Amino acid sequence: MGVKFFGQFLIDSSEVDASHVREALELMDHENRPLGQIAIAEGFMQQRQVVRVNAEQRNRDLSFGDLAVDMGLLRSEELVTILKVQRTTRLPIGQALVRLGHVASDRLGVLLDSYKTDQAQYDVAMMDLPNGLVSHRVSHYVIDLFPRFMLRVARMKVKVGEVKDFDQEPEFREIAVSVPIQGARGLEVALVCDLEFGEALAMAASGLDRGDLNPEMVADAVGEFLNVLCGNAAGAVAKEGHPVELGPPDYEAELCDGWMIELAVGIGRAALVLSTF
Amino acid sequence: MAAKINVLLVDDSRTVLAQLERILGDLDGVAIVGMERNGAAAIRVACESLPDLILMDIVMPGLDGLSALRTIKSLNPGIQIAMVSSVSGDPAKAEEAFRLGACQVLGKPFDLDLIESLIQTVRETRLENATENE
Repeated sequence: MGVKFFGQFLIDSSEVDASHVREALELMDHENRPLGQIAIAEGFMQQRQVVRVNAEQRNRDLSFGDLAVDMGLLRSEELVTILKVQRTTRLPIGQALVRLGHVASDRLGVLLDSYKTDQAQYDVAMMDLPNGLVSHRVSHYVIDLFPRFMLRVARMKVKVGEVKDFDQEPEFREIAVSVPIQGARGLEVALVCDLEFGEALAMAASGLDRGDLNPEMVADAVGEFLNVLCGNAAGAVAKEGHPVELGPPDYEAELCDGWMIELAVGIGRAALVLSTF
Repeated sequence: MAAKINVLLVDDSRTVLAQLERILGDLDGVAIVGMERNGAAAIRVACESLPDLILMDIVMPGLDGLSALRTIKSLNPGIQIAMVSSVSGDPAKAEEAFRLGACQVLGKPFDLDLIESLIQTVRETRLENATENE
């Protein structure tokens, strides 16, 4: 259940086990050249420049290619070329498993089709979003996956309303939890709700009765739901080649700008607030 | 009767710990030996109680799950560790977990069949190891 990568899908389907995936990853590490090495092989960069970029990556949250361009060590069109070389020469995990004899070559296509079918439920269409969010791929996933995960995690039907500029905190705010998604452009995702909604979510997610809940548990359940939602959104964009990092929830989120999405939740009141950083 | 599979649960969220406790409580032959909320506590309890299986979150404040996985596997390679995470769909995270010795990476929301199948695999591995040692 949830967004998964192909190797994990194969384990879950009992096609291979973890040791096979580990072997395949070792083979991929051996065969797949990092971007810096491709840049050197193509004559675009020198070894010492690659070392400089790698060192700078400890201080700046940018991919190797973007950082090399930013540091003036690689031209944009050269980056496009080396990314293409990397994409076309990369040994994918399925092929690695075939080469190691853990998956039959004539079965790989069938398994890839099953994987695509399994993961199709997490495909999202580009939505009509405000200018500040429209190019923010992860925000499309967060909004689109929200009702699906509410149904799955809490068995609650939710309708996503209009995206509006955030102008003031909703008057129903009793709980506000946010999760940061860090990448080339960051997105802070906050779920704001009243206690009634929070308790319903907490009871459904934890299986505990209302009497066993305390305010900390309710906030924790809201945070965990956001964690699942944002984690799956992050996983989906990472699979598209845009790595992002999920931060821990902030249980006393400060809401000051961005966009608010009203949610028709049936029990209590709730809204999503998205802001970029 | 076969000895129970001892499981240590590690997640910073009380909700997830309650969820996993409920799921595992419904399975026969499983005993929960501890519930911890960060990687450092997981390392300490794992070394003390030597569970058969650890279910551990990847993203946690303080010492995260992947760092704890690395340490526990280096100290006690026989303990099976499955990572549980909402970010398991991120190939980089899942691949890193497998490289460090995870026996499985379970996504959230949980798939009950996968958890049951994981317990069965751990049970079989323990039986195989016991037979080899006889």
